[in-house]
Amino acid sequence: MTARARWLQLSLALYGVIVLLYATLVGWWVYFFSQEGELFERLFAEAGAPLDAHQTAVLTAETERRFYMFAAETAFLGILLLASVTFVIRSLRREMAAARQQRNFLSAVTHELRSPLASVRLYIDSIRLGRVDGEKQQRYLRHAGQDLDRLGELVDDLLSTRRLTTEGVTVALQDVDLGELAERCVERQGNRHVGTGVAFELAVTRPTLVRADAGALDKVLENLVSNAVKYGGEQPRVHVSVRAEGRFAVLAVRDHGPGLRGVDPQTILQPFVRGQDEDVRDQPGVGLGLYLVDEFVRAHRGKVAVNDGLEGGGTCVTVTLPLAGGARAPDSKVAP
Amino acid sequence: MTKTPMSGRPADGKPADGSSQAARILIVEDEAHLAEVVADNLEIEGYDVEVVGDGVAALERIRAATPQLVLLDVMLPRMDGFTVCETLRGEGNRVPILFLTARSSTDDRVRGLQAGGDDYLGKPFDLSELILRVAAILRRTEWFEAGSSAGEELRLGEAVVDFRGFTARIGERELSLSEKETMILRCLAERPGEVVSRADILQRVWGYDAFPTTRTIDNFIVRLRRLLEPDPKNPRYIHTVRGTGYRLTP
Repeated sequence: MTARARWLQLSLALYGVIVLLYATLVGWWVYFFSQEGELFERLFAEAGAPLDAHQTAVLTAETERRFYMFAAETAFLGILLLASVTFVIRSLRREMAAARQQRNFLSAVTHELRSPLASVRLYIDSIRLGRVDGEKQQRYLRHAGQDLDRLGELVDDLLSTRRLTTEGVTVALQDVDLGELAERCVERQGNRHVGTGVAFELAVTRPTLVRADAGALDKVLENLVSNAVKYGGEQPRVHVSVRAEGRFAVLAVRDHGPGLRGVDPQTILQPFVRGQDEDVRDQPGVGLGLYLVDEFVRAHRGKVAVNDGLEGGGTCVTVTLPLAGGARAPDSKVAP
Repeated sequence: MTKTPMSGRPADGKPADGSSQAARILIVEDEAHLAEVVADNLEIEGYDVEVVGDGVAALERIRAATPQLVLLDVMLPRMDGFTVCETLRGEGNRVPILFLTARSSTDDRVRGLQAGGDDYLGKPFDLSELILRVAAILRRTEWFEAGSSAGEELRLGEAVVDFRGFTARIGERELSLSEKETMILRCLAERPGEVVSRADILQRVWGYDAFPTTRTIDNFIVRLRRLLEPDPKNPRYIHTVRGTGYRLTP
């Protein structure tokens, strides 16, 4: 049975119990009300004297008043019960989603840590035992290096997330040319992917000065460009542009891959969001890159937007930052 | 430089019985580096290796090409490894499957073996261990598929066990046996009247340390007695030799 079906069963069972409780309560009230009516009639019958018009009117008014009182109490209790159950179910759903997210995250981290470790170990074993030579040895060493880089990036991301959630983002602001940073990032990525068929296109306006922390912006650029390569399909083509628009600098990184494939662009900036169960693993990573990008950009009073389903395929991540030259903000700190 | 096979098999990966085909192994792994280095090393051992990168492609390839062994990752694009394994077993496909996966908790191992996997190796693993396990699984398969001194059938009173068809017939009733049950019976039937130790059975049927305890065999024996013995509490054919193992007296 799927988790969704189990959840539906649980919700239905909870609502069923509430409906039963409520029906019992209403039944008891109806019984009590009718018993009370009979009691009045019996008392008057025992008194022997016929009721005059005034007494009849008082009795009718009292009966009506009691009826409305019971009805109001029933309705009030019903609404209260319904609201509580809805609240409980919502809380449960949130808890279950959080637990699933954590399970997925642990699963993804396990995979992302152990897979490169496994290949590095086998590369080293193969060389140590003299099973490969010459060109293949060099290739193995290069691949082992790439695996270690990948491990290093993951550890960095995990530590950054840890710091971010406990201490918030601290940025030291200065005038930085976003265009120059983008050029340097693409150059680094180009060197890393020589001979792999990854193509980079760059369209930057220089200088595009922003008031920012150069280290944090570098991290943003590295994450976005690495993501575009990772999700760029068989032959990734990554387009990076920097331009000024009004009082803002706009950085856009676009790939031409298969896109987010059903993952909600609104939730992709949240930590550990990967959009699927981890047993079926369509995309590498643990779901931290865009979360870190968003946190860093927000610390600069900027915004991140993710656009999917573009003409020609792919995903475009746009970062908007205030241009330098306006009122110079002091060093800022955003609480976790 | 010499590239020496570690498995003790002939360098061309051919089976020990002298048949001419190198064993075909399918690697199902989406991590390109890991797939590369595993494939290279198995090729050095002389096996005929093919790599696919997702669960759906693996199913199609296994149905079309019937490899002798599948090395299967669990966390895969399009379809996870457990589902691939369950689907194959559901179709009656008995290709040996060795799970190679980052998920190596006891729960995951149990799930993999329940799904019908033959062995489970957690990442990261040792190169020589991988090669020895591959060789062990292929040896078991060869042993089971080759002609045996136990013949094609085993008669235990009214019950007739068909080793090829994984069935037992008792009069008009036909019972279906699992692969492991059939292998245990054949292991015992090859040495009728002799004591076969639990360790021997474990080695033959599962390979070393695939299961944590030899008690697992005891559970299979209990089930076999229930199926085949006229009175399971007082067995006439499958006897326990205390502290050692089992003896079959047909």
